[in-house]
Amino acid sequence: MAALISLMILISLIGAIITFLTRTREQARAVALLASGISFVISLILFLRFDSSIPTIQFAESYPWIVSLGISLKFGVDGIGMPLVLLSNIVIPLTVIFAWGETKQANQFYGLILLELVGVLGVFTSLDFFVFYIFWEIVLIPMYFLISIWGGPRKDYSAIKFFIYTHVASLVMLLAIFSLYFNAWQISGTPNFDMFYLLKNYSVIESSMLKDAIFLALLFGFLVKMPAVPFHTWLPDAHVEAPTAGSVILAALLLKMGGYGLFRVILPLLPFSGSPGELVIVMAIIGVVSILYGTFLALAQRDLKKMVAYSSISHMGYVTLGAAAIVPLSISGAMYQQFSHGLITCVLFMSCGVIQHSAGTRIIGDLGGIAKYMPKLTFLMLAGFLASLGLPGMSGFIAEFLVLVNSYFTLPNFVILALFGIVFTAGYHLWAMQRAVFGTYNEKLGHIHDGANYEMFSMAVIILFVIYFGLNPNPVLTMMTTNSEQLYTVLKGVVIP
Amino acid sequence: MFGEISALIVLLPVLAFVLTLFLGKKLPSGGAYLPIAAIAGSFIISLGTFLEIYPDGMVQQSWPWFAGMNIGILIDPLAVVMLMMVSFVSLLIHIYAVGYMAHDPAKPRYFAETSLFTAAMLSVVLSDNILQFFISWELVGLCSFLLIGFWYHKPSAAAAAKKAFLVTRVGDVLFLAGIVLLYVNISEIITTRAFSIEPGNFILQFSTMFEAAKLIDPTQLTLITLLFFGGAVGKSGQFPLHGWLPDAMEGPTTVSALIHAATMVTAGVYLVARTFPMFVATPDTISPGVPDALLIVAYVGGFTALFAATMGLVMNDIKRVLAYSTVSQLGYMMLALGTAGAVLGAKAVGISMFHLIAHAFFKALLFLCAGSVIHAVGTNDIREMGGLFGKMKITAITMLIAALALAGIGFPFAGLGMPIMNIGTAGFFSKDAIIEGALEYGEVKGDMIPYGMAILAALLTSIYIFRLWFMTFTGKPRSERHAHESPGVMTRPLMILAIFALLFGFSQLGFYGYVEKNFELMNVEIAVHEGEAFHPSPIIVMLPVIVGVLGILISYAIYNRRMLDMSKLVSSGNPIYKLLLNRYYEPKLGADIIGVKLTHGVVAQSGEFIDRKIIDGLVIDNIIGKTVFMLGEIVRKLQTGVVQNYASVTLLGLGLLIILLKIKFGGI
Repeated sequence: MAALISLMILISLIGAIITFLTRTREQARAVALLASGISFVISLILFLRFDSSIPTIQFAESYPWIVSLGISLKFGVDGIGMPLVLLSNIVIPLTVIFAWGETKQANQFYGLILLELVGVLGVFTSLDFFVFYIFWEIVLIPMYFLISIWGGPRKDYSAIKFFIYTHVASLVMLLAIFSLYFNAWQISGTPNFDMFYLLKNYSVIESSMLKDAIFLALLFGFLVKMPAVPFHTWLPDAHVEAPTAGSVILAALLLKMGGYGLFRVILPLLPFSGSPGELVIVMAIIGVVSILYGTFLALAQRDLKKMVAYSSISHMGYVTLGAAAIVPLSISGAMYQQFSHGLITCVLFMSCGVIQHSAGTRIIGDLGGIAKYMPKLTFLMLAGFLASLGLPGMSGFIAEFLVLVNSYFTLPNFVILALFGIVFTAGYHLWAMQRAVFGTYNEKLGHIHDGANYEMFSMAVIILFVIYFGLNPNPVLTMMTTNSEQLYTVLKGVVIP
Repeated sequence: MFGEISALIVLLPVLAFVLTLFLGKKLPSGGAYLPIAAIAGSFIISLGTFLEIYPDGMVQQSWPWFAGMNIGILIDPLAVVMLMMVSFVSLLIHIYAVGYMAHDPAKPRYFAETSLFTAAMLSVVLSDNILQFFISWELVGLCSFLLIGFWYHKPSAAAAAKKAFLVTRVGDVLFLAGIVLLYVNISEIITTRAFSIEPGNFILQFSTMFEAAKLIDPTQLTLITLLFFGGAVGKSGQFPLHGWLPDAMEGPTTVSALIHAATMVTAGVYLVARTFPMFVATPDTISPGVPDALLIVAYVGGFTALFAATMGLVMNDIKRVLAYSTVSQLGYMMLALGTAGAVLGAKAVGISMFHLIAHAFFKALLFLCAGSVIHAVGTNDIREMGGLFGKMKITAITMLIAALALAGIGFPFAGLGMPIMNIGTAGFFSKDAIIEGALEYGEVKGDMIPYGMAILAALLTSIYIFRLWFMTFTGKPRSERHAHESPGVMTRPLMILAIFALLFGFSQLGFYGYVEKNFELMNVEIAVHEGEAFHPSPIIVMLPVIVGVLGILISYAIYNRRMLDMSKLVSSGNPIYKLLLNRYYEPKLGADIIGVKLTHGVVAQSGEFIDRKIIDGLVIDNIIGKTVFMLGEIVRKLQTGVVQNYASVTLLGLGLLIILLKIKFGGI
């Protein structure tokens, strides 16, 4: 039963190729669902067989690739990667189901969705820095096409902006990866792109300026992806124009790559960087500013989808804050926030999609009273919004609670600021619901209909996951905590000024 | 036996919620019988548990949850009396709702939500730790939000639901901050080895909290308790977070009775009672001998009791009068915890809880009577009612009983030293004890302000509730509508509640004795600041009843006999009347100025400006974007379009790279 991870990625890849080759949309979506379904089953096997009590890499695989440069195909998961692999495999099949009615160039559409799965699985499982980077870049391309072909009126601007912005960040990251690589090569005399090997050799870099440069370059690459304020402006534009499936994948999975980078790369390097204490403060500021800034910007939006986009920025701020606090359970909380937000945000973007499709607009002021004709959507959307505003009993509360409580040990003032945001977070969610969904029906909308059954099904399944992981966080939280405690063994020396 | 299955107290209504939600449409009465059966089950188990643990037993069960925290059940005297009250009142209101909601097409949703509410409320009550308490507390708030907005197609209902959620959210954030601070403080005393948690116990359990409270830095403890109290202020509609409760009357009247009178709004009082040992342990920096936290609780409660009563005087919506009355009575409960807590210690919890439960009976009754009246006349405005006594005798008499209970009418025979017991309505026993406690506090601590507020509020209470009763049931009918008595499914719960409103008071001494023991059972000592034996003069003992009767007489004179012409006072020319009718301009200040103008207008819009115009527009698009394009222009000039040039440049670059690598690493 070895090679499960490469099998999972391979099946997604083959599925993507076959989907591209299909001729009808019925075939395309069936193949896409089958491939992502198999991938889900494999990830479930991995998840159930995963040993949460050890922090080491499990299900490891390694195949030599470009030997002369020390590049090999290494895969494996630990408590940082495993939950995100599961998340990806939950989100993609449900996105395919949600987009069951797509008619425009269906084979390409579903094929690109599967390619996204290939990309994110590769990112979350690759243990070779070079291969990691390749997958990191692979993710960009299907998303670019998803926005630029199936997007809204300003799709070209948004697609290009998305591509350039995140690509520049990737290149900066690549420079840092190469620096790590050449540095290690110089020391040992043999080339090796192994991720842990490169990270371990970071500490022996002599020049403190180079150290800081590498650290900041990597941090920049990840923060843009999350995105953290002030590197976030590509996100609202991309979301506004992206098709619903694209937005779902973007928010649920692509943003998580940034957070994954924080745990996989940034935190292990932090104690050995030139000035860890100051960097922690910088990260904490970025985290809290993202939380508050995202919240207030969400409050200002008139487009429902843009509001949800800003709420993502706000929620991802908890990831940065929890990681910066470098307390075991704050790090676990930050990881849990990634997992939880990945689920919840699906429901939010799907709601926007259903409303846009049915009512022809997402402008909050132009809607009103749609609950009358869309009772099923209202029910699921309300559940999603409540989860997003941090209602206990849903997964988001566990994550935010862990981050807030445990970050207080090291960053009390930042936590107090973040707490301020909670009221306003509830504010924009409820304000939007009240104006768009409840109240008197806006007759100008004409005749609208409730969401299709496949759309409601996808949303309902995710809500069930959100509630399940809100009541019983342990299946994923335990493995996260095992790894965050291991991270803490090196982080505990960091003194925060 | 009942203790072992006490988890079912919560789980039965949860099950009923799920079943009603999905199957309700296919069942008679919207599936109402599922929650009724489930809540009856909860009541029976609560009652059975009470009989099992009385007089000095407890039920404790606990399971680990996540990250060192737990889920658990703690049924001590405090919890069990509350469990019985909540399940009993909820049961009666569910039965009543079968009649009241009979014509509403969305019945299944209604019964599902009230069932979930009951489950969450019962979970608040029997939580053994503050996190589960908070989670249930939030779920209770969610149900309140959903049920206030039950008729969501009405813009006013949707707005009221949002207001309720947001205003209580302010309190909830404070509460959460208190939990964060508590967790951190307990962790710190564990790290310094001053404190340890025994195996099987968990960090946020009440028992752990009370133990740790003695070791926590006193300033931090005051802060924690005040943050908890902030949560209670939000939930229990205390000043300045009271404004959502009157607006919450947009929901069905049964919801007002269940959630916004008898149960949820008392959760704030229950929170203070639950964590009372921490409040008592706070230092006395403001007034000697009075723990700071209790002093603040007393003043906020006393002020709210008086403040809300003034607004109750002028409201014309029958439910809003009752809503302000609820706010005011919750203020009394807080006042009791604060004042009596400072002089009598744990007895204060008994005094406050006794009023809480008595109030639940008579206030639920008042709301259900109001519902019966609204059902009959089709309006909420008491100016359009009148003369209904003959037409709705059961409603009128039960409501009179409830009004007498609220006004605290009775006779303190024993209090005057006579060898007979006190006789009176439930409210007489419960409110008198509070006022007496405030008096004792005043005598012992030399601070008569809380007592003064309590007495004055008692006078106003009696006036506003009899204004309501006289205007509704006496005089000439002021509307054309043909009113009739409500069906039996509605009047029978009224009669049962009326019996409790009349007779519950007689359980006073037994109740105090039982609930007082609560903290002894948990091995928590509460320092009692014993004063000298306290013997007030007869006139003082009689004063609460005197003001109660006086209030009735004033109302009788004005609203029944019409001996005073109110038109001069009740006009827009009278600034005080205008101030009261506009609710001290709280809706304007809260919603318009803070909500719309400041938050939406100033903060959010300036954020939008910064984001779009400065960060994205100026920095990204103009500065960075234009620079890149300019560089692109320069580079474009180097592009000659001749393939050979490209090829040679590429080769040159590759060659350079190889040379560089060779220099750096030697021999590849």
